[in-house]
Amino acid sequence: MSEFLNLLAAGLTSGAIYGIFGACLAVWFRVCNVLNLAVGDFAMIGAIGAAQLVQIAGLPFGAGIVIVLAAAGLIAWVFDRVVLHIAFDRGAGAHGIVSVFFYTFGLSLVLEGAARAVFGTQVYGAPAIWAGPALAIADFHVQRAGILVIALAIVSGLVLWAYLRFTVSGRAASACGESVLGSRIVGIDSARFRRRIFIVTAMLAALFGIVESPLSGFTYMSGPTLSLIGVVAAGFASFRRPGRAVAAGLVIGVAEAMLGGYVSTSYNDVLLYAILFGIIILRPEVLGLGPEPA
Amino acid sequence: MPASARSGPAALEVEDVSVSYGKFVAVESVTFSVAAGECVAVIGPNGHGKSSMVTAVAGLVRRGGAVRVFGETLPAGSPGAAVRAGLVLVPERRHLYPELTTRDNIMLGSYSRTRRLRARQAWEDVSGVIDMFPELARLLDQKAGTLSGGQQQMVALARGMAAGPRVLLLDEPCLGLAEAVARRVYDWLGQMTQTDMTIVLVEENPVHALLVADRALRMYKGLVDQPGVAA
Repeated sequence: MSEFLNLLAAGLTSGAIYGIFGACLAVWFRVCNVLNLAVGDFAMIGAIGAAQLVQIAGLPFGAGIVIVLAAAGLIAWVFDRVVLHIAFDRGAGAHGIVSVFFYTFGLSLVLEGAARAVFGTQVYGAPAIWAGPALAIADFHVQRAGILVIALAIVSGLVLWAYLRFTVSGRAASACGESVLGSRIVGIDSARFRRRIFIVTAMLAALFGIVESPLSGFTYMSGPTLSLIGVVAAGFASFRRPGRAVAAGLVIGVAEAMLGGYVSTSYNDVLLYAILFGIIILRPEVLGLGPEPA
Repeated sequence: MPASARSGPAALEVEDVSVSYGKFVAVESVTFSVAAGECVAVIGPNGHGKSSMVTAVAGLVRRGGAVRVFGETLPAGSPGAAVRAGLVLVPERRHLYPELTTRDNIMLGSYSRTRRLRARQAWEDVSGVIDMFPELARLLDQKAGTLSGGQQQMVALARGMAAGPRVLLLDEPCLGLAEAVARRVYDWLGQMTQTDMTIVLVEENPVHALLVADRALRMYKGLVDQPGVAA
């Protein structure tokens, strides 16, 4: 029983990582039909930036968090103004499939290169927000940072779900992704929604990096891996449903942990992609990928 | 109401409006005005600047010249300002949100005044619009992308009405619709002309347009070459 519970805790923790990056990707894709392949790099900036400011520069932890989140938001704002605004609002850039991933992939490469130049190749971990030994009940152990990671993922998923479901602003954000012209006709500023949600998800990813880094540590190369698992989790949520992305991430994480614990860790990735392919082929409507309406 | 009876202040003034796409001039120094409560048709063959003109008036494309709604000058390229001034466009090809429900599509017409509300409150604010389109009542929870072309056109009109227009711009409202459906759209439009709503109707088919319009402007090669054909 304790083995099952420990695997469950480990699975929920890794699943929360899937889920939160999936949620960040899904909510922004819903607004502007672009995949944020730099979302993991914002987490990297959060983790390494906070570690640098607190452990090397000697700033108080709270101040370090505020500065790092502000920096992540500022980078996102500048990128939107300098690249996305010109590409999408002025119609100067390439459209179609290139715009879906190219610009944010470029941002990922730039952030990775800048992080290597500034921070080097060491492994960093921000100080733990909730410090102390792992919590234990009999043979069941769970890391405090792990609890925060799970809580942050669930709260983020719920907040994004409620925003999209219950507010006019959330419906307007969805409308932007459905029809830019249709949204502008009724006075919705689609560029502002794109910018705001990009900034919010960048800051959320940075916060997640700070919270998660005591568990795994971050290097300048950590970003793309996190973005990729986010894409997979978002895929389980038709790239548009952040709440479902968190739920899907948690289920995937637990399934992986159980498979790793009771069978072999060699099959984790196989399981993940087998489930995704199976759903896409057999039940695409589960992912919102059913046939186009006539 | 005959055009002669519409002698009030101008609801819409379009002055020297021009639209260019690169070197191509789509609309060239178009000037006209529409009295409050008047229905004016803009007719002419396809590709001669009718849609470019109304989308520019609604703030959706860059333009030169001036647009005033009940004396208020609208900033160029600001559709939000146009909607807040009461100038609402129902566009050609509808441009709905296919994955959102009929209810959400209509509700978002009121976005400029309900954007800080919860969705349920905003719907209560605009749900009276359904009285004008009773067939939509049973389709409120259906995704707009699954509706027929005629139903989608009704949703587009309802979304426009939810914005609370004082001046309504209708761009080819019957494009691609079956004749029976087009007749229903024109029946509704006929009812609107009996209210104090000011309407600018862009229509390729002058026979359709002159059924409801007080007068018509003809656009040809980006110019208004007949500024006042009486209906």
